[in-house]
Amino acid sequence: MKTRARIFISILLTFIVTLRIAQGQDAGKRERSSVLSSVPTAVHTRPNPFEGKPEAVLAGRKLFERHCATCHGPDGEGRGRVPALNSDVVERATPGDLFWFVTNGNLWTGMPSWSGLPEARRWQIVAYVRSLRKKGTN
Amino acid sequence: MTSLDPNSVATRLQVVHTQNSSRKRVAKGMFVGAARFVALAALLVLACASARSQERPYFITYTHQMEEPGSLEIATNPLFGTQRGGGNFLATWTEFEYGARGWWTTEFYLDWQSTRRDSALFTGFRWENRFRPLLREHWINPVLYVEFEDINGADKTLLEVVGHDGEADHAVPNSESRRERKREMEAKLILSSNFRGWNISENIIAEKNLTNSPWEFGYAIGASRPLALAARPNRCTFCPENFAVGAELFGGLGDRYSFGLRDTSHYLAPVVAWNVSDSVTLRLSPSFGLNGNGHRFLLRFGISYEISGFGRRVKQMFHGEKP
Repeated sequence: MKTRARIFISILLTFIVTLRIAQGQDAGKRERSSVLSSVPTAVHTRPNPFEGKPEAVLAGRKLFERHCATCHGPDGEGRGRVPALNSDVVERATPGDLFWFVTNGNLWTGMPSWSGLPEARRWQIVAYVRSLRKKGTN
Repeated sequence: MTSLDPNSVATRLQVVHTQNSSRKRVAKGMFVGAARFVALAALLVLACASARSQERPYFITYTHQMEEPGSLEIATNPLFGTQRGGGNFLATWTEFEYGARGWWTTEFYLDWQSTRRDSALFTGFRWENRFRPLLREHWINPVLYVEFEDINGADKTLLEVVGHDGEADHAVPNSESRRERKREMEAKLILSSNFRGWNISENIIAEKNLTNSPWEFGYAIGASRPLALAARPNRCTFCPENFAVGAELFGGLGDRYSFGLRDTSHYLAPVVAWNVSDSVTLRLSPSFGLNGNGHRFLLRFGISYEISGFGRRVKQMFHGEKP
């Protein structure tokens, strides 16, 4: 009985600690005006290694359709509470900002982390997302 | 001839009408319920616009990648095992993995097995939850794992190897081993890193049978990499970007009273995963016992199907929520 009580207390503590850490991080995020404002400077200024390569945009489109279109829509127009990607916020963001956001996601609000994809594929997605605005403008 | 009271007849008619309406409402409710159930089943089978998640290639080792929120993955993983002192066996687990939140994935397992020259039986269920306490990417990303399992001693899925688990445990006839009830809690600390296309994951396992048994320990380590890091512009099935290869090493570490490698079993398992389409992944892994305590050879095969946006579609179905 004593052992069981210890197990349950351990599990309960694990849950509480997990939730507290997650909530703490979320509160920290809410204080900032934008998620992208917390991008480290080194990443913020990173150029896209696939910049100016049309085949990267095509590959990015394929990856976008596979991983992102279900939530963001086939052309990144957004759905419900999922934000549009052909917006001013995305237009103002640097490739490094977008890469950082794709890598980290925003787990608390539902945007998954795509760090499981190799770095090159994340840059290809960024190349495609950046092209959405241009496509919309044209 | 009896005279009919018009009021009484009207009342009876009203009662009958009310009863009929009530029956109709119940029947309609049942019909709607059945239709929803059928639609839900159809949704499971024929879900369109599915999206490929970041499927881990491993069978045993967990990475820090969580199921995308609202996505459901259905997978079945048969395992063929050779057995000294008993019949070879085929064990299968079917899993339903759901992304409850970005930081929380929950998974339900059903286990079966069939042993040559013996019997086939359902061996129990497992329910696991994974929590990601740090919401951003780090060099090493921790994930907390908690599982409850209610299985019997005939379970041969070898989803983890802990304590002094060994081949001899599986040589017992099903009729005897099924009598042993295993209600266990399992905790894992998952540590995982992504670096230059490689994933390296380490799992530290602690398991406790809730009926007065000591804590048992185990480990699993995995490393994998896609064959190509960048994607091609065109859609393709057999191109290298759709394949990932790697290896797993897993085994037991004894228990609370005899911690260490003595009388434990260990396996080395190369793995290969193939994203056949946007929603289907196949995995294959031969496992080789590294010492005399383990099975000489195990062969795992897995097929998984991902239904992206499953949660949202179910909400739409039952609550009419707009997409």
